This record gives sequence, structure tokens and C-alpha cells, in this order.
Amino acid sequence: MSALEFVNVSKSFGDVNALSNFTIALEQGELVSLLGPSGCGKTTALRIAAGFETSDTGSILLGSTNIIGLPAHQRRMGMVFQSYSLFPHLNIRDNVAFGLKVGGVPGDVRKKRAEEMLDLVRLSDLGHRMPHQISGGQQQRVALARALATEPHVLLLDEPLSALDAKIRVEVRDEIRRLNRDLGVTTMFVTHDQDEAMSISDRICVMDNGVIEQIGSPRNVYNNPATSFVAHFVGSINSLPRGNTRVLIRPENLVLATHDESAQWRGAVTDITFVGAFTKIAVVLDNDKSSVSVLAISSQIDHNIAIGKNIGINEEIR
Amino acid sequence: MKFVGKIWPRLYIAIAIVFFAAPLLSMARFAFQRIPVISLGKDNLFKRWTIDGLLTTLRDPEFAHSLSVSLKVAFFTVLVLLFLMVPTTLWVHLSAPRWRGVVETVTILPYVVPPIALVVGVSGTYRSIAPWFLASNYSLVPFYAILAMPFTFRSLDVGIKALDLRTLVDAAKSLGASSGRVMWNVLLPNLRTSLINAAFLTITVVLGEFTIASLLLKRTLPMYMAQAQGSEPQGALGLGLLILVLTTILFTLVSIIRKKDSTNINAKNINSGMVP
Repeated sequence: MSALEFVNVSKSFGDVNALSNFTIALEQGELVSLLGPSGCGKTTALRIAAGFETSDTGSILLGSTNIIGLPAHQRRMGMVFQSYSLFPHLNIRDNVAFGLKVGGVPGDVRKKRAEEMLDLVRLSDLGHRMPHQISGGQQQRVALARALATEPHVLLLDEPLSALDAKIRVEVRDEIRRLNRDLGVTTMFVTHDQDEAMSISDRICVMDNGVIEQIGSPRNVYNNPATSFVAHFVGSINSLPRGNTRVLIRPENLVLATHDESAQWRGAVTDITFVGAFTKIAVVLDNDKSSVSVLAISSQIDHNIAIGKNIGINEEIR
Repeated sequence: MKFVGKIWPRLYIAIAIVFFAAPLLSMARFAFQRIPVISLGKDNLFKRWTIDGLLTTLRDPEFAHSLSVSLKVAFFTVLVLLFLMVPTTLWVHLSAPRWRGVVETVTILPYVVPPIALVVGVSGTYRSIAPWFLASNYSLVPFYAILAMPFTFRSLDVGIKALDLRTLVDAAKSLGASSGRVMWNVLLPNLRTSLINAAFLTITVVLGEFTIASLLLKRTLPMYMAQAQGSEPQGALGLGLLILVLTTILFTLVSIIRKKDSTNINAKNINSGMVP
């Protein structure tokens, strides 16, 4: 039995189909990302699970219970939002204890539990502070502690990292992964950022226009994209001519062949971007003028390669 | 050039100070100096100051009665207004943003409709169908609620705009709070300053309203003051000044609280990169 299951859930706003026959099952303790561009329906799916949005058709099973129609406050779903949603009038500890307080847990018990949760996100010394006195990353960790304090059936995360700057984003991302593993809480993570989804998920559900394009492990989605949309959205990809058709090849699966006269493709270098360990080389193909990008390990690049130079490209043989 | 740049702002501030302070000073001299008005000049600026006139008025049982009527009416006006406007404003923000314009327009109506038209229309109707309603002092409450509605709506509107309302409500619900709990434990505490602000503005409207009270023949504080101007003019003016000073102090306190609260909220928004 799955921990959380969407069965044929559909939702439209006026003429727009936000979600069409959305079906996915999350196993107990699993972290699944809903990944897609904005407007793909991922947030709608999450909000329907939380009870903030009603679906037009379909059912949502929590264990074996259909929770469609159950009001949001009775669903026991912990949720973390993109904008820090800490209650501005409560200090950090009282924020974490809020769910316990409305659940009728006695004062001393909830205080102890709040301290434990703050310990869990390593913020136990900030309990007395007000939300505006701590940083964005800390606020999101408090929001996580608050959502987990009531021991929810499922943790729903709605782009929780989007408002954070790059370094903090990785920290909080790792924190989410750790909590998911340590507590074994089933987690649904909505994001538009493929790197985020790749690094955190057990499985990724790629969505576009309210429809699921592919569900699979990060490795699977990246290496065996089911559709052209998935291939283009997850990672970057080149479209190269081969005979009468075109093939999709990832930049890291192309190799430069400077001296190979019989290379599969030839083209002129238009740009070289050094990004540390890797270097990105942009090439315009001779035969059909399509733009191709090649990702090479910086230390292995031939120093003769320069902008304007004609080079050969081969598909890497694996 | 630099000199000119400095002198203009100072000149304007000086003019403003004179504009506001001169009438107050004149009022104070009239109310608290035992000197016939005709002989008040700069020679006797510091002579024969006394608060006897004010004390006589404060001891007048009619004053106590009118003050209590006004305060009771103010209290119920605040209750009625908050009871009506808090849910309305929240509803407009949460579920029906397209109705915002309509609600805003309706709340502005009291500015446009003169109180006299309001009273004549309403009293005409009620005199025939429910005369007991107009007999009670509390018949002023709905009128004053209408008069103070623009202030209440605006004050709440500003307070709510400063919050990330949708997210706070959703967060509270996901944590198990029912709608009542959300209102009581999340929304009202965060709208505290707006509520206090709205309440004080309403009280000042009630304490200063004359037309409607006079037309409905209610013995409110402004009615008493108007009457006392004939019998005990010094006391009436002294009282006016006292009320002015008290309300100024009250509003200063409110704005201090508001500043404190808005640092909370703004700091929160700046951290999250969402400056309102």
C-alpha cells in the first residue's frame, strides 16, 4: 500500500487544464519531486493534496482512505512554502509548537517537543528569537521543524528553496534530504529546478501542461528521457543531424576531435566558456548551421581550440 | 545657493508650526487665563493662569453623563465595525480580490453622502416603522459605524497587505488549525496594530461628531460642549483642548506600536526578498 496516491486527479481553471488524469503513488518514506516549468500543474497537485484546492475529478488516497473532501486542517499534511510562512507574532519555539497547540497538546509536552524539533534542524539556540531576527535559510529550517512537529502523514514542500541564495539553498536542500531519510517521512517536493530535483529525489515526476511526461529515478529520467520534452527540460541536450533524422545527444556525451578528418560532424567554434572543472564549447555545424554545445573536462582540452576554428565532433562511444 | 536651500524648508516648518500652534495657544489663553478676552495681550501672557473653568466643567454631572453616552456609543461602534469589517476585508483579500474595488467604493460613500442626508433619510424611515430605535442613544451606533467605515477599512486593508495572508492561512491550516483558530491565533494577533488603529480612529470620529447627534437630539459629548460654550465658555474650550491633547497622546502611542510592529513585518519581507 502506498503512503500517498493520486488516482486520475484532474483540475481545470476556466478553460485551462491545470491537471489532467494525474496518477502517481508515493511509497512510505519516499521523496518524490514534481518537476516542470511554471504553470505545469505541479503546485496545483500539491495544493490539492494539502486540501487548499479542490479537484474536479479523481481521488487522493492517504494509506487506504480517500481524503477528497476532507478539510485541509484535518489532513495532517506538513507543508513548507516558498515564502517563509513563519507566524510573525510568535517566536521560533512557539512557531514550531503551533501545530501541537492547536492539536491540544499540553504546554510542557509541546515545549519539549518544539525543543526536540529545533534540535533536529540544529537551531535549538534560536528558540526565543522572533522570525524577523533570523536569516532566510534558518526560517525555512524552522518551517520544516514546524511542519514535522505534528508528525504529519506526508511532508509537502512547495518550492521551499526558491527564495534562498545559492549557498544556503544547497544547505537547506541537504537538510530536507537528511530529515526525509532520518524520519522516514514521505515527502512530495515541488520544484522547477532540475538540479534540485536530481540531487534530492528518489524519483522525479516530470510534468508539462498538467500531464505527467515521465516518472522515474533521476538517473533514469536523465539517461532515458521518455519524451523530447523531458530530454530538453532535464539537463541540456543537442539535436544533431544523422542521415535523414536527428539525434538527441547530451553535451557531455560529445567529444571534440580536433584532428579527426572523418569526424561525425564538423563545425566552427563560436564560444568557449570556462566553468571550473568543465569547459563548455559552442559550435555551429557546417552542414545545417545548428548550434551544438559540448561539455569537456577542462584539463583534457586541446589548447589549440579557439573561437573561429573548425573542429570535428564525435559521439562518445560508451 | 546653499543658504537658500536651507532657509526654505525651515521657513515652511516655521509657518506650519505657527499655523497649528497659534490657534491652540489662543485657545489655551482663552480657556485658562482669568482675563477678559478684550484685554488679552502680550503684556499679560503669563498672568492669572487657572484651570478653574475646566474644573467646573469636569465637575458638571451633565459632562459626566454626556461623556459616558459618547464612550458607550464609541465602544459599540467599534465592536460593530470590527465585527463587520474584519471578516469583510479578509474575505476580499483571500477569496474575492475582484470585489475589492466595490468594497472600497462602498466604504468611501460616507465621504460623499452628507451626514444630514443620511440622518434625514434614515430617521424618516425609522420614525414610522421603529420609533423606539431612534429613542435610544444607541441609535447613533449604526450612523457612526458608517461614518468611521472608511478609516476602519483602510486601516485593516493596509495591515493585511503587509502580511503574506494567503500563505499564513494555508500554513496554519496545514498545521491543523480550523478557520476559527486561524482567525483567533494567527490573523487577529498579526492585525493587532491595525485593529487598535481602527478602533482609535473610530473613537475620535464618535467623540467629534456633532451633526447627527444634534439632529437626533442625543446628549453626546460634542453636544454638551456646544451647549457649555454658552454657559461656561472657558470650561468648554478647556475641555476641547484637553481632548485634543489626550487624543494626540493616544495616536502617538499607536504610531509607536505600529512602528514596532512594522519593523517585524518589513524585516520579515526583506529577508525573504519580498519588499511590499
